[in-house]
Amino acid sequence: MHCRTLYATFRRNFIIQLRAYPKDFFIGNVLSAIYTAVSAFFMYHLLFNGQMKDSFAGYAGTGDYISYVIIGNCMYLFMVRTLLNVSRSLITELREGTLESLMLAPFRRVQYFLGNMLQQTVTTSGEVAVMLLVCLPFGVRFSGFNGLAALIGLALALVSYFSLSLLLAALMLYTRDTYISQNTLFAILFLICGVTFPVQYLPGPVQWLSQGIPVTISLDIIRNSTLGGMTAAAQIGSYVRIAALSAVYCIAGFLMIKKVESAALEKIFG
Amino acid sequence: MLRAEHLSKTYVTTDWSGFLKRKKSKVEAVRDVSLEMRGGQIIGLLGINGAGKTTTIKMLSTLLQPTSGSIDVDGLDGVRDAIEIKKRINMIAGGERMIYWRLTARENLWYYGQLYGIDNKQLAQRIERLLGMVGLAEKQDIPVERFSKGMKQRLQIARGLINDPGYIFMDEPTLGLDAAIAKELRGYVKDLACKEGKSILLTTHYIQEVEELCEYVYVMDKGTVIAQGTPKELALLGMENKVLCVELHENHERLHRSLTEACQSAERNCSIIWDGKNMAYTITSSKDLSSTVAKVLLEQQAVFKKFYGQEPGLEDAIIKLSRRDKDGFFYEGTEGRDEKTA
Ligand SMILES: Nc1ncnc2c1ncn2[C@@H]1O[C@H](COP(=O)(O)OP(=O)(O)OP(=O)(O)O)[C@@H](O)[C@H]1O
Ligand SMILES: [Mg+2]
Repeated sequence: MHCRTLYATFRRNFIIQLRAYPKDFFIGNVLSAIYTAVSAFFMYHLLFNGQMKDSFAGYAGTGDYISYVIIGNCMYLFMVRTLLNVSRSLITELREGTLESLMLAPFRRVQYFLGNMLQQTVTTSGEVAVMLLVCLPFGVRFSGFNGLAALIGLALALVSYFSLSLLLAALMLYTRDTYISQNTLFAILFLICGVTFPVQYLPGPVQWLSQGIPVTISLDIIRNSTLGGMTAAAQIGSYVRIAALSAVYCIAGFLMIKKVESAALEKIFG
Repeated sequence: MLRAEHLSKTYVTTDWSGFLKRKKSKVEAVRDVSLEMRGGQIIGLLGINGAGKTTTIKMLSTLLQPTSGSIDVDGLDGVRDAIEIKKRINMIAGGERMIYWRLTARENLWYYGQLYGIDNKQLAQRIERLLGMVGLAEKQDIPVERFSKGMKQRLQIARGLINDPGYIFMDEPTLGLDAAIAKELRGYVKDLACKEGKSILLTTHYIQEVEELCEYVYVMDKGTVIAQGTPKELALLGMENKVLCVELHENHERLHRSLTEACQSAERNCSIIWDGKNMAYTITSSKDLSSTVAKVLLEQQAVFKKFYGQEPGLEDAIIKLSRRDKDGFFYEGTEGRDEKTA
């Protein structure tokens, strides 16, 4: 298979990103990393007095709250960036007046979205590395690290964020809104997917809901592989679950995008 | 050959008239339009604002699905074979859209070329040629946002040619360009048809462009084709009356009376208007009065600067055709219905 559209979109986005404010982008990254680390640090030391409830270690599989939160935030960053970039790709084309010229071409949608996704993953990996470096002095530690399990987990996590973002892309293009849809979704995901605290603290029905979102499973996998020392073999059940959920989201997303795409073209005047 | 038959397009729009109240309205933008495009031919699509030109072009270029009717491009079906058709067509619109402002000219063409899956070596050559053709070779590495309007438009033309399309749809390609650049663009368009055998459909509000370029013209109004023919044929449609103009060197009292008498005896309802400032007569009548007027001028030994019949104008024809019925200039289909949504 030729991946021309994938490569071209990947490269196009890099060029655009590098051309628009690379310096501000870097400074922004470092600042948000410091903010994440500092807030986790203060939460732990001032709010909880360095003492977590016993239940925390039971639910989280670790007593290290700071590492728990920072790893959660790193994955959340991957998720937010993927959602932002992949979901907004089509509506950005619409706003910049290039949706029609894009749709005139006979290209593969999957490659287009993957190109957007991969470019973002590369930059976000850099961001996460910066974040982890900044957080080291605040006490982030990978107490039980299993490289293979983490790698598979990260790959599956990214796939699941990608499929989620296809759904959001359809929603955004349909409502022609980015602000409300994305921020509502981010807030919900942040609250119910276990980014900063185990989902077991949530009321029953919400917990049930959060298990249907691949983000929750991805966070479990990554934490189990970096803090809990679980092997890949021990996590096969989670791998299958996240892959199945992603497949469902992905298929639904593509079907919806196809519909929404032509609806969006109908709404362009002149 | 491209053939569109009985194309219609109805837009359905939803307006929120309250927080929960929704009003759906339908706009019949195009109704039963049929047209043909052949290689090497430039076809004009004319009509006043809102006539349905852009909608027609978007259906032809696969961006919109027709509500009914069919499109056939070299034997391919417009809806079923859309992917294959996309490789053979392209569209160019006026107004600074359809290119990435943050990429350079070269990067833009490269990206679109990749979307079309053009062989890399061939693409490199084509980009070179197109940049040269539209005169952007020296500016190819500057981001488009720093381009002037005319440069952006020229880049858009290059973009529209990146897949070497056989059929090109141009929607007001000279919109907002200065006279010199517009002329240059007309040059490209002419060459594309004459030298490269492309088939071009052009919409524009500049009549001069149509007269200069188009071999055949469709006039649309309220979504339908109301007239079609060569620009000359159409111009004649707008000409109800023959108009003669005589410009004199000096005022000539006797001429005034005899001209009036002669013309009115030949055609009672003719009108003769004297413009004292320019010392010119404009004679309008349903008959051709040129021999009558010439005779009077000779008899009176009037010395005149110019004596000519006014050419029929395409512009007048279009305005006249489009205003045929007096109620309302713009078409607005409003089959509104109120609807409560949960
Ligand atoms: N996306 C849309 N949704 C609803 N109605 C539309 C849409 N686009 C165009 N229309 C309506 O359809 C009719 C035809 O519009 P169209 O843009 O095809 O006209 P046009 O001939 O290109 O006009 P212009 O010369 O102003 O460009 C108009 O009444 C317009 O308001
Ligand atoms: Mg138009």
